[in-house]
Amino acid sequence: MSRPAHKRPEYHKINKDLFVLTYGALVAQLCKDYEKDEDVNKYLDKMGYNIGTRLVEDFLARSCVRRCHSYSEIINIIAQVAFKMYLGITPSVTCHNSSRNEFSLILHKNPLAEFVEELPAGRSALCYCNLLCGIIRGALEMVHLAANVTFLQDRLKGDSVTEIGITFLKKLDEKKYRRKK
Amino acid sequence: MSRQANRGTESKKMSSELFTLTYGALVTQLCKDYENDEDVNKQLDRMGYNIGVRLIEDFLARSNVGRCHDFRETADVIAKVAFKMYLGITPSITNWSPAGDEFSLILENNPLVDFVELPDNHSALIYSNLLCGVLRGALEMVQMAVEAKFVQDTLKGDGVTEIRMRFIRRIEDNLPAGEE
Repeated sequence: MSRPAHKRPEYHKINKDLFVLTYGALVAQLCKDYEKDEDVNKYLDKMGYNIGTRLVEDFLARSCVRRCHSYSEIINIIAQVAFKMYLGITPSVTCHNSSRNEFSLILHKNPLAEFVEELPAGRSALCYCNLLCGIIRGALEMVHLAANVTFLQDRLKGDSVTEIGITFLKKLDEKKYRRKK
Repeated sequence: MSRQANRGTESKKMSSELFTLTYGALVTQLCKDYENDEDVNKQLDRMGYNIGVRLIEDFLARSNVGRCHDFRETADVIAKVAFKMYLGITPSITNWSPAGDEFSLILENNPLVDFVELPDNHSALIYSNLLCGVLRGALEMVQMAVEAKFVQDTLKGDGVTEIRMRFIRRIEDNLPAGEE
């Protein structure tokens, strides 16, 4: 099968610092808008979800990823292709259970938090990078993979690494892997 | 000077789509927060200013650009180095004023507006106004007070996107620039 035609003639590779600082401005705005950390976290996740549903179209159009046959394969594509493409990092992958539907992405470096030394005062429950959870969840849902995505560890909260837990909620079903039209 | 070697698991480069979509989420949030487009434009400019003040440190550390001796040299660095580094595009420089204190950056394409369609009720919104603040904040940190503004925008039906840059004055060294 031939690759789908590119919608645009070129793909931009950019230094990520403008993105990271812009993300910081977004988080700061949400902290102004909402008193509670839980609300900021919720809106970051919601925004991320909307972004993920659109970003996955770009990803599928540009990568050579086709049908995946296991959750492990999907997680490896997220870590080695998607994170590399969109954030310039390659997280490590671990699997948590014998039914192999619970995984973690270990970010030894978290570019989104590069200019953040600590959480703002009075914001200890803030999940600064919660946009990423929404993005992953939204992208996976567009390819019919329901998942829970949460931060299990966060360097901004004193942990030694940043860890994103991904739990797939449904049994794998071949028929559902056709890309949405 | 050799550049710092990239670690195996990290690259300074990323694809621009995530930035474009995240920027869209920011603009959407500001449109909810503020009643009118003028306030959104102002807030985007203010945010951009704060970003520019910090981004310039990264830029100077990362590029080999020394001090620019005039506004023409500054224009070249902005268009050929900085825009390329942070947005993946190289605008052209046109419309110099006779005094050499004004020029335009012409963006044939603006990655910030990929995936974007401006709704009818936001005709006064300057969607990419963050960029004007970034330019102003960054240049202020190298002692140049400038005005940056969009005078053409493809989102509004113009053929290109144009940012007009005007040099106002050199800032005295003993007055530190600060956040707005």
